[in-house]
Amino acid sequence: MKNGGWGSGAGGWGLKYGLAGLAVLSALLPVYWMMTISLKKEVDQFAVPPKWFAFSPTLAHYRDAFVERSFGQYLLTSAIVAVVSTICAIVLGTLAAYALARFRLPHKLNMRLALWILSTRMFPPIVTAVPLFLLMSDVRLLDTRPALIIVYTAFNLPFVVWMMRGFFQEIPRELEEAARVDGDSRLGALRRVILPLVTPGLAATAVFCLIISWNEFLFALTLTQTDAAMTLPVGIAGRVTQYEIEWGVMSAAGVVAMIPILVFALAVQRYLVRGLSLGAVKG
Amino acid sequence: MNVSFKNVTKSFGSSVVVDDLTLSTEDGEFVVLLGPSGCGKTTTLRMLAGLEDVTSGDILIGAERINNIPTQARDIAMVFQSYALYPHMTIAENIAYPLRVRKTARAEIERRVKQVATMLEIDKLLSRRPRDLSGGERQRVALARAIVRSPKVYLMDEPLSNLDARLRVQMRGELKRLQHELGTTTVYVTHDQAEAMTLAHRVAVMRAGRLQQFDTPMNIYNRPANRFVAEFVGSPSMNFIEGRFRAAERVFTSGNLALPLPDAQIERMNNHERVTLGIRPEHVHVSTMVRDCWTPATVYVTELMGNETFVFLRLPGGEKIIARAGADFRAELEMPAWVRFEMERAAFFDAESGEAINRNPEPR
Repeated sequence: MKNGGWGSGAGGWGLKYGLAGLAVLSALLPVYWMMTISLKKEVDQFAVPPKWFAFSPTLAHYRDAFVERSFGQYLLTSAIVAVVSTICAIVLGTLAAYALARFRLPHKLNMRLALWILSTRMFPPIVTAVPLFLLMSDVRLLDTRPALIIVYTAFNLPFVVWMMRGFFQEIPRELEEAARVDGDSRLGALRRVILPLVTPGLAATAVFCLIISWNEFLFALTLTQTDAAMTLPVGIAGRVTQYEIEWGVMSAAGVVAMIPILVFALAVQRYLVRGLSLGAVKG
Repeated sequence: MNVSFKNVTKSFGSSVVVDDLTLSTEDGEFVVLLGPSGCGKTTTLRMLAGLEDVTSGDILIGAERINNIPTQARDIAMVFQSYALYPHMTIAENIAYPLRVRKTARAEIERRVKQVATMLEIDKLLSRRPRDLSGGERQRVALARAIVRSPKVYLMDEPLSNLDARLRVQMRGELKRLQHELGTTTVYVTHDQAEAMTLAHRVAVMRAGRLQQFDTPMNIYNRPANRFVAEFVGSPSMNFIEGRFRAAERVFTSGNLALPLPDAQIERMNNHERVTLGIRPEHVHVSTMVRDCWTPATVYVTELMGNETFVFLRLPGGEKIIARAGADFRAELEMPAWVRFEMERAAFFDAESGEAINRNPEPR
């Protein structure tokens, strides 16, 4: 049966794209709403009936957020913290994952260590908020970017280890054995033979880490207090005050916060699809 | 460079995979490790490559003990069963890899890659990637990567087993020529006795981690050290008949069967009584006409191979044996037939231990 089942014929075509369209619409509607609010004057924001398209746009909220207030600073902090913690987590996690995937440790330590690492994701992160606050306070890192980098690296590590361990296990052992017989060291084989083969997986993992760090709210809120180390999510939430909720500023900052992740995801999209399906098809 | 194993043992936990292996090659020799799967031949090769640790004993290349030398410093080249080509590199980059990690000059790399690629007739493929190549081409690339430099030893782990039958026979011949031209010691692992017989200067037959016999293909075939070697080498397999040697009557008996033995055989029997007769199919002659003094049998089935016929027979005692007959041999199933055993070519094994009793004298 060629092209049978769902999606065959005109009715099927309509159903298929209708459902897909509905999914896209429901996902994009809040984004659209946020973008329009960021461009609307206050009077238009909550007009009844809502003004979907017809309103006179203004960039006042953007100027308010990034010129009058310190959202530019928050953006920079978010970028530094997310990028550095992602790099740290990827480097450390990849090496750990390689070791867990390749070395035969005694007493089934490979699996046990991997499970211990995973177990750090099994409790709700909030239970560590107070201990981490005290810890950072003791080492005088409160309200600094390194505090967030350390915490994000720690929380992304298990994810990186487990993802990359899976990707490494997909690579035939014989490839690096061949590399070593050919005269390469273990690290040389990792760099020249294995890493190029797991690049798609590496890219996919990095995107996830970056998104998680970029959007993280809980630790950024508890570990920072001033503009010096505040990230975008905390800054945005700070616009909800007891007197007013600054929808325009929040939306403007939200739109800007979206852009870097979008750009990065588009840039590595080619790898992303291959990374997520790595090992699904032998090739 | 010659390779020596001295009392080498390898165990994984409590299971012993290679048991007290002692074996030395000559310089430039082509040695084949032959055995069924799980006999320890691949583990032996991997220990030589440094991909497995040695539990006890010494492995030497030349005069140097290499147990603790890491793989990359052993100066060996290996061809893997799966070829293990680097999928993200072109064929040229694959072949150049061993030179590149040794920081050979770019021009020199290019020259050597060209040279081996031409030698193996893959020079047209250099810019392609492994996934675009056929199995036979990949095999050649794996070989090229091994011979692009001059290592002390070549290791080959069933390099031909993923090829189809015709290509395998062709590559087998080319491999033999190649090794002859390069003159480098080669250790080759296979479970295919035809590869072992055709390629090797000497064959090491292994079983359950133990070396059974290490000898020339001719001696492995004609003078097997024990019943296992006799059975494993040769196709169709050697016939075995359990029975007794009766010294007084100078015969081998099994049920109603009584086969007189030539004097030379009797001398070497050493008073063994319970023995197993082993005789190769080509030393069993079969006729559909009544012959005096031949043993009567029944045709069970015949298999015409084109150039010869395998005749499966049942002896009066119920034993099934195989005889090799000419292509013109014709017989119906269940037809009576007569067989003659070429007893001077027979082997005898101790019924208990399976060890050869009276190994045939070395053929002159």
